[in-house]
Amino acid sequence: MKQQKTFSTTGSIGKSFLWLLPMTLLIVLFTTGGKFSFDDKVSLVAFLISFIFFNWLFFMILYKGRTDRYRAAGFIILALFFALTFIVNLIQSRGSMTFSNETLLACEIPFCHIVTTMVILPLIFTGSIIFPGQITGGFAPIAGMLVIVLGVMLALGRGFCSWGCFYGGWDDATSRILKKPVIKKVNPAFRWAAFAVLIIVVIMSAISLGPTYCDWLCPFKAVTEFEKVTSTIILMKTIVFVSLFASLVIILPVLTKKRIQCTTFCPMGALCSLSNKINVFDVRIDREKCSSCMKCTTVCPTLSLEKSDVEKGRPAMTCMKCGKCIDSCTKNAINYHIKGTPVGKNLTAARMLFIFPAFTLLVIFTAGTMQQGIILLVKLFTTGSLF
Amino acid sequence: MKRLLTIPAYLWAIACLLLIPVTFIGNESFAGQMAKLKFMKVNPVYTGGEITDSVNEPDLDTYIYKPVFEALIGESKEGFVQVKFSSPSDTLPEIITKTIDYNLDDSNDFILEVNTATGKTIVTSMNPLVEDVNISSRLKNEWVVRVGLKNLLK
Repeated sequence: MKQQKTFSTTGSIGKSFLWLLPMTLLIVLFTTGGKFSFDDKVSLVAFLISFIFFNWLFFMILYKGRTDRYRAAGFIILALFFALTFIVNLIQSRGSMTFSNETLLACEIPFCHIVTTMVILPLIFTGSIIFPGQITGGFAPIAGMLVIVLGVMLALGRGFCSWGCFYGGWDDATSRILKKPVIKKVNPAFRWAAFAVLIIVVIMSAISLGPTYCDWLCPFKAVTEFEKVTSTIILMKTIVFVSLFASLVIILPVLTKKRIQCTTFCPMGALCSLSNKINVFDVRIDREKCSSCMKCTTVCPTLSLEKSDVEKGRPAMTCMKCGKCIDSCTKNAINYHIKGTPVGKNLTAARMLFIFPAFTLLVIFTAGTMQQGIILLVKLFTTGSLF
Repeated sequence: MKRLLTIPAYLWAIACLLLIPVTFIGNESFAGQMAKLKFMKVNPVYTGGEITDSVNEPDLDTYIYKPVFEALIGESKEGFVQVKFSSPSDTLPEIITKTIDYNLDDSNDFILEVNTATGKTIVTSMNPLVEDVNISSRLKNEWVVRVGLKNLLK
């Protein structure tokens, strides 16, 4: 059944263009970094491609009244280009994707947002950060990343996991490979698994005064950086993270069409779920419009909607605000919502107020990475080498 | 009452709209402010801690760090002391042999022998609290050695 017109911009080219204008200004700001100078023609082309791409995405979100498919296009590009540019930068600066004792002793490991979960408890008890990174300066310094994590969690709650996380695009992509899932039913109780991982990781990190998840479990080391194999323990760690990447980021998302890594294994996802409680945006189901077809429960990539949630009129706190359930609802019963306002009213305002900061976040994270990625790909096709 | 609630709700949502660009545009400044907070420092387990003594010679500078016995609460049973060698001429001698008094009690605690070409490092303990080498690694133009220690107080 075709979706009915829901938002004032849906199907209206004029209104969509009008609402696009402020976003275009933000896209210009964040794709140029505030200065219009390009080193060469390739940089200019990379800028133009990303500029047109983001404007097109946002226009389509407005014009079509659909969110997820356009969000996912940008989000997946973010993950792929982030991995490409990060690895190329590492190889250029260090000669390989591995880090050694020298990198650790120099405290030059970039601080990733997932580490936030592991530093909180030791910070309280020891008054220091248990991570070998730079507080300020360098690439991804600790203070800079903590500011981003705080700002984004306050503004979007777990929306971060669908609009800004530079890893989430991996299992978002793999979960879209098959048209229909091979494993049709995943127990919704698994949505709480990430909280168990969070608790274990927090305790282990506090006891060992080391970022346990990064050290042993993080599957995304496979597409960023990892310890040089110099001992049996490091070899074991390598086997663990490669296996986790293969199973949680590739195989299971393909088979289930769910974002298994983000849903069941990411401690940062669990922390962001908690921040959903203090965040102003949520997703609500208008029970008067809902026909209880339960389509939303089958499409939700994070197992955040089951029958009881639909009956309650809201997804679980693990909702990533990706918009998939909203797009799938043929009755337009599901929508972004601002807490404290009536459900099912002012749908355009609620959607706009969420989509604007969320899409801005996507642009901020993706713009530079995408341009650098395009430059690298051009280099690869013209010279045969990325370096 | 419900209607009244909608006003702060929308205001809060509008504030979130601004929060994202502000977080990134002002990131450097906010991070700089955050870095000034007392707890914004990297744990000595990673940095090696504070330098407590240094010996400067024509061809080699030796820096001895405060022993690190970090634990979540109190001190751990085992820790390490970091020793760093650097050369004023930026070229480290191939063989470094140094006697170290890590606790500054005027009695030598261990002898450190480092081959900077091969990385082979030997610790000869002269104090029962001194254990073996934990890490021995080049660090740009310097060389860092961490020697395991037992905690006297545990």
